[in-house]
Amino acid sequence: MTKRSKKNTKQKNPTQTAFTRFMLIVAFFILWIGAIGVRLVHLQVNQSEWLRGQAQDQRRDLLKSRILRGTIYDRAERTLAMSVKVKSLYADPREIEDIEGTAQAVAAALKIKPDQILKDLREGKETNKRFVWLAQKRDEEAAQQLNKTLETYDLKKFDLPKFKGLHWREDQKRSYPYKNLAAQIVGFSNADDIGLAGIEQSQEEILRGAVVKKWQDRDRLGRVYEEQEGTREPPKDVVLTISHSIQYKVEQALEKGAKASNAKSGMAIVLNPKNGEILAMANYPSFDPNRYTEFPTENYQNKAIQAIYSPGSVFKIVAYGAALDSNLIHADEMINLSQGFIEVAGHRFNDPHATKPMSYVEALAVSSNVAAIKTGMSLGKENFYLYAQKFGFGQPTGIDLPAEARGLFRSPEMWNGDSLASMSIGYEVGVTALQMVSAYGAIANNGVKVKPHIIKEIRHSGGKPAVVPELVKTPIVSPEAARGLRKMLREVVVKGTAKRAQLNGYTSSGKTGTAWKYNAKLKRVDAGKYVSSFIGMAPAENPAVVILVVMDEPTGGARDGGQVSAPVFREIAEQILPEMNVAPDAGFVQENLIAENIPSEIPSEIEKIESPMTEESDEQPDDLLKKESKRLIEKRVVSENVKEIKRVEKEVGLETKKENKLPVEDKKSVKNKPAIVIPETKNKSSTEKNKLSAEKVKKKT
Amino acid sequence: MSKRKQFGKSKSQSARRDSIPWKYYFLTVACGLMLVVGFFFAARSHFSSIDFGIKNSRLRKQIEELESDKRRLILSKEIALSPAEIKRAAKKIGLTEMTASNIEVYRPAPKEKSKTAKLIAEKPKLEFLEKAAPVKKEDKKPEVKTEKKLPETKEKSDKTKVQIARK
Repeated sequence: MTKRSKKNTKQKNPTQTAFTRFMLIVAFFILWIGAIGVRLVHLQVNQSEWLRGQAQDQRRDLLKSRILRGTIYDRAERTLAMSVKVKSLYADPREIEDIEGTAQAVAAALKIKPDQILKDLREGKETNKRFVWLAQKRDEEAAQQLNKTLETYDLKKFDLPKFKGLHWREDQKRSYPYKNLAAQIVGFSNADDIGLAGIEQSQEEILRGAVVKKWQDRDRLGRVYEEQEGTREPPKDVVLTISHSIQYKVEQALEKGAKASNAKSGMAIVLNPKNGEILAMANYPSFDPNRYTEFPTENYQNKAIQAIYSPGSVFKIVAYGAALDSNLIHADEMINLSQGFIEVAGHRFNDPHATKPMSYVEALAVSSNVAAIKTGMSLGKENFYLYAQKFGFGQPTGIDLPAEARGLFRSPEMWNGDSLASMSIGYEVGVTALQMVSAYGAIANNGVKVKPHIIKEIRHSGGKPAVVPELVKTPIVSPEAARGLRKMLREVVVKGTAKRAQLNGYTSSGKTGTAWKYNAKLKRVDAGKYVSSFIGMAPAENPAVVILVVMDEPTGGARDGGQVSAPVFREIAEQILPEMNVAPDAGFVQENLIAENIPSEIPSEIEKIESPMTEESDEQPDDLLKKESKRLIEKRVVSENVKEIKRVEKEVGLETKKENKLPVEDKKSVKNKPAIVIPETKNKSSTEKNKLSAEKVKKKT
Repeated sequence: MSKRKQFGKSKSQSARRDSIPWKYYFLTVACGLMLVVGFFFAARSHFSSIDFGIKNSRLRKQIEELESDKRRLILSKEIALSPAEIKRAAKKIGLTEMTASNIEVYRPAPKEKSKTAKLIAEKPKLEFLEKAAPVKKEDKKPEVKTEKKLPETKEKSDKTKVQIARK
């Protein structure tokens, strides 16, 4: 009965049964989902890191690349140095099965011998390496060509090259489109993109791009479907103050001048005295930063800031400038130089120009040593030292280029008895070309020195300026003293030793300097080696540029600054002043451009040595023509004489080297001169010189 | 009686039992369907996102390539515009450097003859030059052509002689 009733109740509650069943199913699902949830929580919380690593290993690639190095521009936004993306081919030896076959194929594609590749791959395989370089820094075209050559058709590989075990890696390559232009300023960077010279070195931190990480998720076919890239600030660009056009003209003129004078090296700087901007800084010989390894390392040196030399007479502006500023002298005041020499602390300083009383203007024009020494002595040690320091000697200018030299300028306690006299005429001091041009810049800028700089601005890659250098101005001498000094320098060009620096259309002023070089081995100056320089400014009244030209060891006949460096100054100034929109302040001499009046680009060997260097003057074209006709006849005689001498020398067996072709008497006279006197090249006619040398040869025979 | 009643009850009960499960079945099916549709949409969006990712990656690569191409073009432009290259190109098309031998000055005819012109016109003074270097016929040819262009033929021919003598 009870059983039946129970059955009945069961039968009586079908809804209950269905509900129960449904709830069971729901419960089962809940449990199932719960279990899944628990498992998920366990996987996500406890095992997430391990699982993520596992998953990423299967589908994710990590690529490290460096952001392209910053660009270097000139003041006209022309690119002087730029990095471009290139590709480097490498092999993963672990993926390669047929080492020999791979080596053969790669060598054939690269057109090289397979031995080295085979050796590297074998080594890599043995040592379980994952990376062996095969070809570095190939441009896009070369990379595509290699991809074509190395393509294996039956290989399922998404990335190029379709060759087992070979991969491309993104790299960057530094290019210098202007090649030799401003090579010592721009510098160069090595294969690892580390700046090794010039702006590349000094601005390494600004130019160097950071390493960025890039994650790429790939599907089973190797296609990238997700990318993540770390964000790093891109490197900045550097804009220089130099103008590529002016730089090119300066380099061309310098090279031409150095070749003509057969100089060992040369340097030239163009400075804007108003704001201290360096418009050009050239060195000869130069090099191509794109293939710097092919050039001698001496060429990398920026001698304009790194080399020290004895300035000679160009340093006289310190004595005169200081004396004018201290009101000790006046430009038109007379000075007695009739003795022709001066003796200081037992050292006799001779001066061929000091034969009569003359004004300070005239004294500087003829580069009188006695006048400069007397002026320096009137100042006294302390004052002279103070002014030299104010002009910036003995300390680096602080230009944004690496390894700038301080120069040599001892403190007065270390001076000898005749040091002040020697320093007054530019000996016992060592200066850099930049220090010298900066000092002259102060005179050009009414006595205010503006710190020379070569970086115009540093800016973000977007173009927004980040750093603009501020002008640092230091007054050195009064504007009146600077004006007086400019007046004196003007006379040097008009009547003095730098007539060859006269410009067509512009007035100019400046000072020549010729100094014997110090020989460290001999521990005294070497009478056979010179540094010839000229520093000038134009226009003379309100200079827009200061140009320095220095020739190291000119050996081609004339050797003094007025004859070697002044013409280079002239060539540079005449070309760049119109480009800088400087209004002409002097009349143009309408030259008759017939063939005779224009010197050929590089004079022939005989011309270089034998032809008399004619003085630049205000001669009329008619006079020039007459003179030229005479010169033609002389030259013919000279060439005949030279041929005759050569023939005699050959017969006697006295064939001389190039440098020994200089007239014998000239050499002797140089040796006999006292160390301090600045040599003046005598304008002996070439016929006389040849007669002398012919007589010498006859004597020998 | 009770059997009838029971029978009658069981019928209605079975009717009730039949109507209730369908509701639940429908619910279950609906849930299941939703789940399937959800999975379907999730899978679809997953694969489309991968597809977009691939396309995106390709486009990014293309941008990078175009940027590097742009840089390469800038570099090529700079190389082509460098003074040394311009000089080379000029030489290639036949332009020559300014030297003493290839300069010719074109001036308007002066009203009065300058001193220079007079001097050049004086033949006897230049005789020694002509003697020194006899004028070649070949050298004279190009000068004859240019004479047509110049207004001063006499001065020009004299100048030519000086040039040839210099050579």
